[in-house]
Amino acid sequence: MSAEPHIEQPQTTSAAHNLLASVGEPILMIARTVREIFEMFSLTLYYVVRGRKRWPAIFEQMYDVGNRSILFIAVTLGFLGMILIFQAGNQALQITGDLQVLGGLFLQLLLREFAPTIAAMMIATRVATGMAAQIGSMVVTEQVDALQMCAAQPVDYLVVPRFIACTIMMVILTIFAVLVAYVCGAFTAYMAFNLNPRTFIDLGFITWFDPIIGLVKAFAYGMAIPIIACHAGLNVFGGSEGVGRATTQAVVNASLAVVILDFIISGLGYVVLGLL
Amino acid sequence: MIVVDNISKSHLGRPVLENVSIEIPEGTNLGLIGPGGAGKTLLLKIICGLVKPDSGKVTIGGIDVHKLGATQLADLRFRIGMLFQNYALFDFMNVADNIAFPLRQEGTLGELEIAERVKKALHDISLSTIGNRFPNELSGGMKKRVSFARAVIRQPPILFYDDPTAGLDPVISSKIFILLRTMQQERGTTAVTISHDIGGIKEICDFFAMIDRGQIIFHGNRDAIERCEIPLVMQFWRGFSDDDLDG
Repeated sequence: MSAEPHIEQPQTTSAAHNLLASVGEPILMIARTVREIFEMFSLTLYYVVRGRKRWPAIFEQMYDVGNRSILFIAVTLGFLGMILIFQAGNQALQITGDLQVLGGLFLQLLLREFAPTIAAMMIATRVATGMAAQIGSMVVTEQVDALQMCAAQPVDYLVVPRFIACTIMMVILTIFAVLVAYVCGAFTAYMAFNLNPRTFIDLGFITWFDPIIGLVKAFAYGMAIPIIACHAGLNVFGGSEGVGRATTQAVVNASLAVVILDFIISGLGYVVLGLL
Repeated sequence: MIVVDNISKSHLGRPVLENVSIEIPEGTNLGLIGPGGAGKTLLLKIICGLVKPDSGKVTIGGIDVHKLGATQLADLRFRIGMLFQNYALFDFMNVADNIAFPLRQEGTLGELEIAERVKKALHDISLSTIGNRFPNELSGGMKKRVSFARAVIRQPPILFYDDPTAGLDPVISSKIFILLRTMQQERGTTAVTISHDIGGIKEICDFFAMIDRGQIIFHGNRDAIERCEIPLVMQFWRGFSDDDLDG
């Protein structure tokens, strides 16, 4: 019987291994999550095209995403519009003393950036949590298993109505957000700086690019938020604690997705505009 | 015929099922017994394709369940009914819609016919008046019966019952077992029944298997289980234990 040769491993190898593992594990986890989200997105698109449209469920979700978010969006964007105009107006007065371009530039900023992105952040907070919690609860109470045993596809039955509803309502809510923020901004400009609304409402800076990029962003956020929320919900494990984890994961991932998409679409937009 | 061939499954590195093999001949009912946490429900979910095993395969009528695509699996599930341990009723639908759901998914019957079938199903489970109620308005026994009605409404040739009488009083339990037996006799269904109600499954099952710690420790017919001398099987079958509760 021969004895196994005992080779002493240097301690640094083990430490290096641990360090690599601690860096590599979260990277692999993120890569897996991103891959799963893209798989769910493609499956959702497939069912949007090929699946049975459940209009009552879609309208119910549209009501939940849209109507129930109107006050939330109105208050947030309204106050944001007032604060931005007040701050920008004060700075403009200190630098140039001219407020003529305030309304025009504010509208451009709203269309391109603030209205779609802030509205999406609000929707990610309010709607993504609800979707993840609702679907997550269905997972832990075996309702998703029951759906599958009844020959229904969870993505077709649960994700598609939310996806369609959120995409449509995100575009509508963005247009609403622009209007609310602009009207509140005009009101603040009049009250704080005595700027005539006719001067404030200035479309001179707006090109076709501004509303289009805003709508493209709204469309992209509207697709990303429900996919990320439903992915978190459908991957719940471990009972009510798992539902809580999924809810947090949904809002964090959806907010991150909004910021990343904002960066990508803005960048692509400027590249395309530069080429034209 | 359902064939479970050498199934193993681990969860978070811990083996939950190890090399499980069982055959369930067509038209028979297999009673699956075992202590809580032994892996019975997981095995049932693997058999019907809800959970993928780490190794081994499950065939239903010669079809490898885990090699099917989503559409083919959905087609196979039109032939399977499942009663879940925790009811799994859709909480956003009323009772009638819950029961009608599998029929609507199938899409072969009109709404009038579906309504008739639901009405009959509710009558069969002695709950004719609760069609408009939502699951959160029902007692545990009512939910179980509604879940049963949903599982069998399509009259599938294969049925899986996960603890059909858990938490029910003896009268309702007896009614449920009578319904299961009737289903078996009238339609010749192939079934797997998980239950801790040994008296009940003695009445309805042709074969029995016992799982302990993820392994099949007994598989045989009624005569074999009566004569089995494995202590745990004897304890379960006869309903007593020589050990202390903490032992």
